[in-house]
Amino acid sequence: MKISRKDFLKISGSFTLGMMLLGIPDLKFAEEILEAKKDFKLKYAKETTTICPYCSVGCGILVATKEGKVINTEGDPDHPINEGALCSKGSALYQVAVNERRLDKILYRAKGSDTWEEKDWDWAISEIAKRAKASRDSSFISNYEDGTKVNRTEGIACLGGASLNNEECYLLSKMMRSMGITYLEHQARLCHSSSVASLAASFGRGAMTNHYIDVVNADVIMIMGSNVSENHPITTKWINRAKDRGAVVISVDPRYSRSSSIADIYAPFRSGTDIAFVNGMILYALQNNFVNKDYVLTHTNASFIIKESYDFKDGLFSGFDPINKKYDSAKWGYELDEAGIPKKDETLQNPRCVYQLMKKHYSRYDSKKVCAITGTPEDVYLKICEVFTSTSAPDKVATWLYAMGSTQHSYGTQNIRTYGILQLLMGNIGMAGGGINALRGISNVQGSTDYALLFHLLPGYLRIPDAKEHPTLKAYLEKTTPTNNDPKSANWWGNTPKYVVSQLKAWWGEEAQKENDFCYDYLPKNEGDRSFIKVFHAMYEGKIKGLFLFGQNPVVGGPNTTKTLAALEKLDWMVSVDLWQTETSTFWKRPGVNPSQIKTEVFVLPAVSSVEKEGSITNSGRWAQWRYKATEPVGKSKSDLWIMDRVFKKIRDLYKNGGGAFPDPILTLNWNYGEKEPDVHKVAKEVNGYFVADADLKERGKFQQGQQVPSFAFLLDDGSTACGNWLYSGSYTDQGNMMARRNDEDAPNKIGLYPNWAWCWPVNRRIIYNRASCDVNGNPYDPQRWVVKWIAEEKKWIGDVPDGAWANIEKYAFIMRPEGVGCLFATGLADGPFTEHYEPLESPVNNIMSSQQVNPIAKVTQDEFIDKLGSPGKFPIVATTFRVSEHWQAGAMTRNLPWLVELMPDMFVEISEELAKEKGVANGDRVIVNSARGSIEGYAVVTKRFKPLLITGKLVHQLGLPWHYGYEGLATGDIGNTLTPNVGDANTHIPEYKTFLCDLKKA
Amino acid sequence: MSTRQKARLVDISKCMGCRGCQVACKQWNELQAEKTKFFAAKGGYQNPAALSTDTWILVKFYEKQTEDGLTWRFRAHTCMHCTEAACIEICPTEPKAMSRDQTTGFVYVNEERCIGCGVCAEACPFGVPHVDANRGVSTKCSGCMARIENGMIPACAQACPGEAITFGDLSALLAKANERISYLKTKGYTPHLYGESESGGLRTLFIMPEGLLFYGLPAKPKSKVDTSLFRHRLKDLGKKGIPINAKMVREVLARDGIKKDTASELA
Repeated sequence: MKISRKDFLKISGSFTLGMMLLGIPDLKFAEEILEAKKDFKLKYAKETTTICPYCSVGCGILVATKEGKVINTEGDPDHPINEGALCSKGSALYQVAVNERRLDKILYRAKGSDTWEEKDWDWAISEIAKRAKASRDSSFISNYEDGTKVNRTEGIACLGGASLNNEECYLLSKMMRSMGITYLEHQARLCHSSSVASLAASFGRGAMTNHYIDVVNADVIMIMGSNVSENHPITTKWINRAKDRGAVVISVDPRYSRSSSIADIYAPFRSGTDIAFVNGMILYALQNNFVNKDYVLTHTNASFIIKESYDFKDGLFSGFDPINKKYDSAKWGYELDEAGIPKKDETLQNPRCVYQLMKKHYSRYDSKKVCAITGTPEDVYLKICEVFTSTSAPDKVATWLYAMGSTQHSYGTQNIRTYGILQLLMGNIGMAGGGINALRGISNVQGSTDYALLFHLLPGYLRIPDAKEHPTLKAYLEKTTPTNNDPKSANWWGNTPKYVVSQLKAWWGEEAQKENDFCYDYLPKNEGDRSFIKVFHAMYEGKIKGLFLFGQNPVVGGPNTTKTLAALEKLDWMVSVDLWQTETSTFWKRPGVNPSQIKTEVFVLPAVSSVEKEGSITNSGRWAQWRYKATEPVGKSKSDLWIMDRVFKKIRDLYKNGGGAFPDPILTLNWNYGEKEPDVHKVAKEVNGYFVADADLKERGKFQQGQQVPSFAFLLDDGSTACGNWLYSGSYTDQGNMMARRNDEDAPNKIGLYPNWAWCWPVNRRIIYNRASCDVNGNPYDPQRWVVKWIAEEKKWIGDVPDGAWANIEKYAFIMRPEGVGCLFATGLADGPFTEHYEPLESPVNNIMSSQQVNPIAKVTQDEFIDKLGSPGKFPIVATTFRVSEHWQAGAMTRNLPWLVELMPDMFVEISEELAKEKGVANGDRVIVNSARGSIEGYAVVTKRFKPLLITGKLVHQLGLPWHYGYEGLATGDIGNTLTPNVGDANTHIPEYKTFLCDLKKA
Repeated sequence: MSTRQKARLVDISKCMGCRGCQVACKQWNELQAEKTKFFAAKGGYQNPAALSTDTWILVKFYEKQTEDGLTWRFRAHTCMHCTEAACIEICPTEPKAMSRDQTTGFVYVNEERCIGCGVCAEACPFGVPHVDANRGVSTKCSGCMARIENGMIPACAQACPGEAITFGDLSALLAKANERISYLKTKGYTPHLYGESESGGLRTLFIMPEGLLFYGLPAKPKSKVDTSLFRHRLKDLGKKGIPINAKMVREVLARDGIKKDTASELA
């Protein structure tokens, strides 16, 4: 229900937040003074808009303050996503702002000390800078022996960033890369890295295709791989509204969750068998011809002919190198004609066309076999197949909502590929109410991914240069810029050089010139896998000396806690920038250790909360929304932006005065954001991009030096434009800060796009691949819920910002894929072009699909000491981890809030009544869960929501446990990740948190 | 003026148990967190155990296996704002501390009049009011009257993500509820609308998809105190010229026959 509180709470005044906001009708002011009847709590309170700091839905919150103190926080009724609603976490935001447990001073722990010392900022910044410089200097590699310049710092790692603002993420990337740091990682590796790889391989971009409100447009809502109601609760508003329209909700989950409770159909299945489950759905669609044929021909590579060298036998694709456990993916390419264009057979009859190869590959996944693997009752399974494939009708649509249940497997990328293949067959990509919606878990983890706090990327999904492959800018651009000879392929990534050069200009300014390859040598050149698991492995081996943490708590969040802790003990120094003391920053005094034995120096820097600073964050639907400062920071706490600015400047000073390893990238870095609090608007403008020199772009206009670029289409590769992150180009133009827009009117097609609310990448396009919602003539497949349509007379699209301005007849709809179409057959992944079922690394059964028990190229870190794997003989129970609505991630942001602690005070383990009976356990008993890595204790929740499953004729028990708890905070409990293994996905090395083996006994 | 103007409708078929309402209520009303351990009841994550001076809305969890499969439901338990309110009826102060807001029809505690005797807590068939011993007043959900007066909606209804708790005119909500009940019947449920007539009509209405039995609320909620006997006894004391105080009320309550056994009335 929409209410108009403005009728009652009369706005009597407003404050401007910078003159740049003026003149744009969509920018309403972010602060209002309320008048009210009687002595109402909010009378004369100042209200400031903000966006929730918890999950990625991006709900609007109003923060009321009086005399600078926060007195109330509640949902913003004007916000189009949440319309005033908030879950338990969002409702508790007040206790983030007003909380005596918040860090309010700088803490230092000396080598071997058992206590904190209170310090001041000058001392801390200065000491941290000294240590960072020393660790950099002693671990810096300038060149390889063959002369290749690598300019890389091996001895420092930096983790965290998903709770920072975009502007902070950007500066963090810029600063750390200038220092040569390659061990740059954060939460996104652990939550959705496999999504990014998979969605990019299927469609071209690694992000949620649609957005939260759009769920309302769906006819079928498939919740598989996520527990959306608990972890992205406001989505339930749109699910419920879709249900009111007649949508059918399906929940597929090993455990009946709160999301299952709102579903029309629930199916249990064995954790880790997603590929078998969905492969069977693909077979059902192909066998029964429940396929949107026009869509498949127009918008996918179904008709493309695949090289003869592609083959698949007994679980292995062709090109497998058993020694290096690698595929030669060149074997899986398209057959090209003389012009270098992929050959096609539009009749789909050629046995080497993708469609026929698919039919062959998926024919093995009949429902009997699928259900033997997954344990799902066959009648329920077939019902789901039937309901889901009903959306192959052109005007019917299904959305797929998934999260960590899909991503965190040794084949996580392929799990999500199965959704991509099925959704392409249904014709559901680019449609309103369709898509594959990667529900991200942290308020700005989409932004921190876009800003590339990941070892393998630079901001805007540009690849980090590789030491061997990309020694020069020329080599880098040649090898990372895709080419395609098909005139109908837009091949947008062909613009890569413009984005790379503009980024180098933003980073090294005047120093970056054509003659010196725009300072390309200043970028660190990476080698090998430096993802999260490897960061801790290198730390464990003593290679990493110093660690920066910006709001990340790897002791709780990383796999195999025992190893994480052992690795931290090898550090010389650690800096934790946070709102709270975390299990990581206090690891040296954790229960059971003697602090005098631990040499690591620890600096804890108090950061401000989201309502105490200004900047943008990007929700899962790619909306970049601006948050304002509502109140002053607690105690001595400072924004991350300020902290980065000070630390960087201090390091720069040290290099100015004292030499050291290759100081040039640091000394010449374009870093000038003001003297006191860095100007966040200045950062946001640099991200958007500006003209460095006057530019004449002919029919597109003349631009002067210093003007903001209107969008990335105006970026150039000759050094006349600078742009921090091309993806965000258009977010802060000469018209103002587009991310701050608050116009809550919907677009004329009334599908909930809200085009003038905030700003969305790319170029404010709300549903990506939207031209695929139309046939080749530009007519919508679904005339009711159309996203875009082609107006032939005017030669233009109306509706959402089209994904490429061309007519469908002129260019294909998937402009970020070199071949231009959605990929049923994906040529770019490490572990195969089609999806194949393998067992998790720890599984109770043998793989009945092939003699390949596990993904042959899964990344396994295994030894006999700390990275052990367990066998079903000793650990017969399948375990999975989960999250709950009331806690958030590694817990610091909720386990310190009394209202949330009241709801979920203790660590627990959910088990079936059958397993409880077998183990003699009653509800509320203390139980011990063991895996090959360790053991934890918790309360038993004996529930009907877990059931043992019959797997290939064998009864298999499953249990689930939350991983939020730890030894700090008000709600404490054993760390769930003590049990999980250091096993990584083949493509992105995301850990296999979601399936492992364990045993359980009564404590 | 009609006293049945505003109400909340709790559509259990739309609730997914996130407990945003529970925290939003504490946030707005500035209520403390309670100390809890594990979970207070089987079948889910309920905490704390019951409504209290610091908990005015509480989500209860119901996990049941039926022939049709597993059902997991959540019900936000809070003040019903009854038309025939046992708490108002029994309130011994003159004028009554337990009051009805004439605009909304919601029942609230006038703290200036309240003596903290707790008879309302004893009488309420839903276990709603609780006496704050420190302040000597009865406490409970007021329906966020102050918010309503200022054009806002109750904190729980505003927070609810799934639109399970909605706020509006009672007549409109009843119409909406009945429409929903008909819809749920077509979906194979055996729904019950709770509150249309119970206690003269409630201002917290519940759509119960599985029917009343599933949720265990009284089919005919009645005061748990023998009101006429209580008044009679209290009058006796009053004749002696002693002004009514909390201690006196508690003494009366402790006498036999005042508290009724209501177990048999639970459906």
